[in-house]
Amino acid sequence: MTVPQTTRTRGQEGARALAAELSKLVSLPATWLTLGGTLVVNLILAIAFTIAGLRGSTGTGSAPDIGLASIGYAQAGFVVLGVLAACSEYTGGQIRTTLTAMPRRALQFTAKHVALAIVVLPAAAITAASGVVLAAGVLGDAAAPVTSGRVAGALSGVTAYLALTTLISAAVGALARQTLAAVVVLLGYLFIAGPLLRDHVSAAKYLPDSAGVAMWFPPAGDAGAVTPVRGALLLMAWTAALMAVVVLGYRRWDM
Amino acid sequence: MKALAAEASKLASSPAVWIAAAAGVLVPGVIAAITASSALGAITRGTEANAAIDTGYQELAFGVAGAIILGVVGVSGEYVTESAESGGGRQITTSLTVVPSRLRFLLAKMSAIAVSGALLAITATVTTMGVVRVVLGEHAPAWGADDVPRLAGVVCYWAYTALLASAITVLTRHGVVPLAVLIANTSVVSVTYLLTKITPLANYLPDMAGVRMFIRQLADSTAEISPLTGCLVMTIWVTVLLVIAVISFTRRDA
Repeated sequence: MTVPQTTRTRGQEGARALAAELSKLVSLPATWLTLGGTLVVNLILAIAFTIAGLRGSTGTGSAPDIGLASIGYAQAGFVVLGVLAACSEYTGGQIRTTLTAMPRRALQFTAKHVALAIVVLPAAAITAASGVVLAAGVLGDAAAPVTSGRVAGALSGVTAYLALTTLISAAVGALARQTLAAVVVLLGYLFIAGPLLRDHVSAAKYLPDSAGVAMWFPPAGDAGAVTPVRGALLLMAWTAALMAVVVLGYRRWDM
Repeated sequence: MKALAAEASKLASSPAVWIAAAAGVLVPGVIAAITASSALGAITRGTEANAAIDTGYQELAFGVAGAIILGVVGVSGEYVTESAESGGGRQITTSLTVVPSRLRFLLAKMSAIAVSGALLAITATVTTMGVVRVVLGEHAPAWGADDVPRLAGVVCYWAYTALLASAITVLTRHGVVPLAVLIANTSVVSVTYLLTKITPLANYLPDMAGVRMFIRQLADSTAEISPLTGCLVMTIWVTVLLVIAVISFTRRDA
């Protein structure tokens, strides 16, 4: 009689945790509803921005500038996705099953966020590209010329921004454990407090939302502005710091 | 009357409602402090002569997020499923057992939400205007008879927005989608404002028309709507959405 192997290496444990978290995320209908809804809303808004661009009311911009303008609103969908991924554990006590199966909480937390990044990165790329392709197709020659390097830079900036924002949202969700509370805090910050602070406080350019926006929409003509690379580093630092703080609490809390 | 008292008691005992109230008072108050102090800086440097006519009112237009949260959680709280350990029930089944007439229940709920929204608006207005006056001192815009209908407009706008939010939540039965959409639309450059760039008809969307009740200087406005017309347009929107909510609520399975 063979004795079943009872010990797993850390690598195996991590891989299984990742597979489990991916399976949970992919089988959640809310994931696909949110991503699909966000894509549709983004396309509708991109059409609106393109029409406004054609009328010249916002000045004739380039295809990426006009096509990515809608991302400012579409990011709400990614925030909701991140929060749902974290908070769906807490509706009905799924978290206890999760932590029974994966007792190492830091590992489970990391696996959840890696799984979320795996799902979100392609979705963010598709969402970002959809607006630009639509704007380029409709505007045609009317668009201001733009180099392909600039397009690629803007697209990768937006994709990274959306993915990191989703991870931040998931961390806040794990902190709040309440879907509505986390959504209110994040959207209130991203849509109301953040833009207003940006206008009035100069240090606000280092906050996650402004640093993130600098990744694809660098403010022109400002010597002290955050460059795209620095913006990306800042946003990554914010994400890592927030996740580290949350995981410290997550390891100690009652669930 | 008892149904109304019950709804008011439910709202007052919900932590989420108090968070909404805190947001509704703090957001415009803090923003007003920041904008007023930068306006004061501009006045003392001499770059601007006077504080803008919409000082304080502009901030209250953002603070309506508090009324949105109030309207959404007031309804969505009824549909939250308790965890399996505590029976997996929903408050709505209890509520409808106690008040079997769906119309009466929804009217009581909506009245409680409208009244709380108006009370919240009054608190937020007093706070925000107080902050503006304290920070700007003698440079604050002078009070005139014109301010009475404007302040009434703020209260009306907040109560209407809370009603709109709850009517939409009656249809969706979950708070996340209406919250995300409505808060995203409270941003500095709102979606509805963007739509006015495409069609002047968008000026008649509820929030664009509603803010005319108290905002006097809308940036590159494409249509001229008087405060009274704005109020009327928003009233029609709220009435239509409430009627749809009532029809859906009285006919659907709870």
